[in-house]
Amino acid sequence: MNWLYSQWWKWMCAVLLLYVLIGSYMVPLSPGVSKVEPLSFIPDSVYTFHLSCYHTHFKNPGAGKIQFWFKAGNEYFMAKELNVLSNDKIDVKFGVGAKQQDSLKTNNFDLVGNDDIDGTFSLREGVTLIKAEKMDSGSTILATTGPVEVVHNKHQFLAFPYREILYESIRNTFFHVPMWFVMTALVTFSLIFSVMYLNKGEIRYDIYSHQAIVVALVFGICGLATGMVWARNTWGHYWVNDPKLNGAAVGVMIYAAYLVLRGSIDDEIKRARIAAAYNIFSIVIFALFIYIIPRLTDSLHPGNGGNPAFSKYDLDSSLRMFFYPACIGWILLGFWIFSVLARMQLIKQKQEL
Amino acid sequence: MKKYILTAITFFISLLTFAQGETAETSNNFMLSNHKVFVSVAVLTIILLIIFAFLFTIERRLKQLEERQKS
Repeated sequence: MNWLYSQWWKWMCAVLLLYVLIGSYMVPLSPGVSKVEPLSFIPDSVYTFHLSCYHTHFKNPGAGKIQFWFKAGNEYFMAKELNVLSNDKIDVKFGVGAKQQDSLKTNNFDLVGNDDIDGTFSLREGVTLIKAEKMDSGSTILATTGPVEVVHNKHQFLAFPYREILYESIRNTFFHVPMWFVMTALVTFSLIFSVMYLNKGEIRYDIYSHQAIVVALVFGICGLATGMVWARNTWGHYWVNDPKLNGAAVGVMIYAAYLVLRGSIDDEIKRARIAAAYNIFSIVIFALFIYIIPRLTDSLHPGNGGNPAFSKYDLDSSLRMFFYPACIGWILLGFWIFSVLARMQLIKQKQEL
Repeated sequence: MKKYILTAITFFISLLTFAQGETAETSNNFMLSNHKVFVSVAVLTIILLIIFAFLFTIERRLKQLEERQKS
């Protein structure tokens, strides 16, 4: 266990976490449409939709030709008229003819915009067409399928994806998610020491395994607390009935029970052996509740309900640039705290002899 | 010392809950302003608070060790 005393990985931890902290807040969000008014419209009249966008550059001379489409299914309908109010405000005129309403595959229109600086950006299911039952003067054709001529699909050099609901809080990916990775890493680490204790019977392995669990629990509580705040501001409640949330709570409680179990046994050898055995069983339940069961059912968390979390829709390359260093950095921080605790506990044990 | 920590914790909890009752989408509160950037700040603050609190408990344990070493 000499590496516990070496310095290089602690420096690496500091550098990685500083990079993530400073870097992730310097990277802007990609452009997007944040608000549209009105939300719904009826056929046979031309509406003016007021769009509020984010991080767009409509007034900038470099923006070139600004284009907007209303997309229903796979069809792109050109916006009739654009009126740029400011860099992030634009009025878009659009209407659907009565004859057309039946040929539409869906009532929900995505808004897609494009200009030379911002590239292409969109709002999923931004406006809804309320179909009329019977139209008498059903002859007008207002919406025309426009040619999609994206001249310039340039994306900003480095920008986090713009997601509805998440917005800027997408940066939590580097703070909330690694908490669980740290917990998993430390718990796995602790399992190795439990096995080694049962093999060799040296009490220092028991000390390592105990302290790893203590640190893992602290990070688990961090993960729960940050998850709750994030959930409140995106999903609307501190605790939603989601298999991943409940599984995580169970996982944390299993290891809290480990500490209680240890505390209740006085005899040192007996305590170490029972704790080691408990630890081996509990990691199975931990992995099951956090990584397997949420995969099998539907969950609000990305990466559940069958699809892997590291797909290109959940993590794009700009997020990856910070996500992987963040994971390594936080895991190293966890090991650092663990090493301090373990070394202290070893001294304490020597004093007691 | 415990009293102060408890006071601080309850204070921060109250900060996070002041908008209860409204739905997150319609309310115009602080946490949702500026495209929810403060959610990220709050998350980072919570992590740092918990880790610092934990470091203080380690510090206390270390002090006990040192005192025992002296005696």
